Amino acid sequence: MIEVVCNDRLGKKVRVKCKYPLAAERQCTDDTIGDLKKLIAAQTGTRWNKIVLKKWYTIFKDHVSLGDYEIHDGMNLELYYQ
Amino acid sequence: MGSSKKHRGEKEAAGTTAAAGTGGATEQPPRHREHKKHKHRSGGSGGSGGERRKRSRERGGERGSGRRGAEAEARSSTHGRERSQAEPSERRVKREKRDDGYEAAASSKTSSGDASSLSIEETNKLRAKLGLKPLEVNAIKKEAGTKEEPVTADVINPMALRQREELREKLAAAKEKRLLNQKLGKIKTLGEDDPWLDDTAAWIERSRQLQKEKDLAEKRAKLLEEMDQEFGVSTLVEEEFGQRRQDLYSARDLQGLTVEHAIDSFREGETMILTLKDKGVLQEEEDVLVNVNLVDKERAEKNVELRKKKPDYLPYAEDESVDDLAQQKPRSILSKYDEELEGERPHSFRLEQGGTADGLRERELEEIRAKLRLQAQSLSTVGPRLASEYLTPEEMTKRRVKKIRKKEKEVVVRADDLLPLGDQTQDGDFGSRLRGRGRRRVSEVEEEKEPVPQPLPSDDTRVENMDISDEEEGGAPPPGSPQVLEEDEAELELQKQLEKGRRLRQLQQLQQLRDSGEKVVEIVKKLESRQRGWEEDEDPERKGAIVFNATSEFCRTLGEIPTYGLAGNREEQEELMDFERDEERSANGGSESDGEENIGWSTVNLDEEKQQQDFSASSTTILDEEPIVNRGLAAALLLCQNKGLLETTVQKVARVKAPNKSLPSAVYCIEDKMAIDDKYSRREEYRGFTQDFKEKDGYKPDVKIEYVDETGRKLTPKEAFRQLSHRFHGKGSGKMKTERRMKKLDEEALLKKMSSSDTPLGTVALLQEKQKAQKTPYIVLSGSGKSMNANTITK
Repeated sequence: MIEVVCNDRLGKKVRVKCKYPLAAERQCTDDTIGDLKKLIAAQTGTRWNKIVLKKWYTIFKDHVSLGDYEIHDGMNLELYYQ
Repeated sequence: MGSSKKHRGEKEAAGTTAAAGTGGATEQPPRHREHKKHKHRSGGSGGSGGERRKRSRERGGERGSGRRGAEAEARSSTHGRERSQAEPSERRVKREKRDDGYEAAASSKTSSGDASSLSIEETNKLRAKLGLKPLEVNAIKKEAGTKEEPVTADVINPMALRQREELREKLAAAKEKRLLNQKLGKIKTLGEDDPWLDDTAAWIERSRQLQKEKDLAEKRAKLLEEMDQEFGVSTLVEEEFGQRRQDLYSARDLQGLTVEHAIDSFREGETMILTLKDKGVLQEEEDVLVNVNLVDKERAEKNVELRKKKPDYLPYAEDESVDDLAQQKPRSILSKYDEELEGERPHSFRLEQGGTADGLRERELEEIRAKLRLQAQSLSTVGPRLASEYLTPEEMTKRRVKKIRKKEKEVVVRADDLLPLGDQTQDGDFGSRLRGRGRRRVSEVEEEKEPVPQPLPSDDTRVENMDISDEEEGGAPPPGSPQVLEEDEAELELQKQLEKGRRLRQLQQLQQLRDSGEKVVEIVKKLESRQRGWEEDEDPERKGAIVFNATSEFCRTLGEIPTYGLAGNREEQEELMDFERDEERSANGGSESDGEENIGWSTVNLDEEKQQQDFSASSTTILDEEPIVNRGLAAALLLCQNKGLLETTVQKVARVKAPNKSLPSAVYCIEDKMAIDDKYSRREEYRGFTQDFKEKDGYKPDVKIEYVDETGRKLTPKEAFRQLSHRFHGKGSGKMKTERRMKKLDEEALLKKMSSSDTPLGTVALLQEKQKAQKTPYIVLSGSGKSMNANTITK
């Protein structure tokens, strides 16, 4: 389980706990970006399909898992809205 | 190593005591082993190696303690934390993290401050709402503190990590080796020979054992059969086995299959493997057997045939019209495309019973075909054969049989028969060269008299046949003139002219001669003479005949000949003169000449003079001809003129000037411009002075022809000629030649420039200059002036 920090730079800063499989444990599947967006939405109060998570110019796509994006514990993601 | 992985996994999943408990016991020995290995490793590393060893031992102990209970773990975690701080290199980061993180997570819920965060339980609730899997509470590997509570992370010891990796690898390799050995252990190596191979006793033993086993097996089989029989299963079993035997594929199953090769391609004694030909999956046709090699060979042969470029269409091929079975094969159009359109139809034969093929049927067919072909008759005839040059024996016998027939004489038709001959009694000699030109048979005059000219064999009988009535005609030859122009064309013309002249004279004579009888005689004589004159050109003895010869005619055309006849060798002329003289005397000259002129005979003026010559009575002793004074004033004047008594120069008479009319221009001449334009005439005319200069009689010029070139130099004759030649031909010398010439000219110029008293380089002048400069009468030649000083000669 990791905790990812999502910052809006407009006052919304959220820390979201999500599943993340470590190198050893292959059994549990990690969350996708879509799940992460849903969690953020629940916490921030927006719609999850309106959220865009970015890291500089890299837009995180919904169907890719956190592990594939190598989003680790404590990483900061940029929160935008579309 | 699986164990180590599991071990690690266990560690990560630690929290559940049960897991720990189960893993604990088993983990101990490997861990110990690992621990031992670790000790080895750490021995190699320098630095804090010894410390690590100590710590590892401790760790081992600690681990062991840790595994025993989660609570103990939890309890010891605080200690552990402390200890971890003290011994950062020992702890595995993940474990520590896990331990601490759990606590941290448990403790802090919204400790982040501005960042809102949910606790795990809340998160799980949310996730359940969303439909996501709940977070595993155990798998908390949160960092040991948020930003607000930073905790120093454990120092990752790379050396230790590497050692662990290596250990793992070794373990894995060892495991694999073990497995392999297990597998290969079953195979006997060469080194391990069976004991019975060498030792007879062992062998005996073995064989006995084998025998025993066999017996045992047999017994068992019997037992089983009995059992089967008891249970009635035996039949079933038999059936099964029997089926299996039946199902075995044998040669008899090949009956009816087609083999797609010609039966001839299989040779006796050869084995060929046939395989099923490829066909589509959905094709329901029957199977076909082929041999792969044969197929390739056939294809290759076909390609070779195609490459040979045989003509597709043989227009005159007669052989193909009849089929093998002596039936008419229908001739198809564009038969070369049949294969393309309809598809290949290769040779094939079917296998008969038992999977064999004889080829008997094919052979029989072939025999039938051969028989039919023999029976067939060919329409082609025997071709043409070269005829032999020699008689064959048959022909020899044949020849004697032939009858001997009389030969017919050929009739020789000669030209003589064809031509109509006037005189049958002729020699047949028509102007052959042998007998001479124009010879005739001697015939008596009397015979000739009666008929007006008889046809005599002469060169041209037709001309002979012409009547005298022709003389009335003008100069035109009788009709049929082109035939006249045969051999002696010119001569005939001449003869005709002569004939006319003679006739005219005869007429005149006749006029003179009143006597008719004489006339007749005269005529006859004339005729005779004429005839003779015709054939014999020269007969100077005849009188009244004009004889021509080419010379005289030519001379006539020349004109006046002042000395004609003076030598006295002109007999004919004299004769003529006599004749003419008589005429002139009578007719007072002149009138006859007109008549004569018409014919083309004109009297030469000289005749007059010649006559006058004889009759100049009052002439002086001067042999020169003189005009007769008594003849008239003109004659007298002529005489005077000849003597030079008269002044022939025209005297200028003072003329009355013409009144104001048109002035006759003195410098007026009618220029015939046409004459000037003519190039050739201009070339011939001489425009220079025709008269000598009277003033410069004694002038003898000193002729010196000098040629000059462009620079003004006088040219030698050779050069002058070269210049002329260049101008004549229109082109000068080439590059080389001109260069040479230039060089030569330059050299000449240089030569001229050279001073006679000095060398070409002007050495003397330079010498004098130097002397002047040095003010010495001499010049030092070697080196510079300074070097020869006494001071400088050193060393």
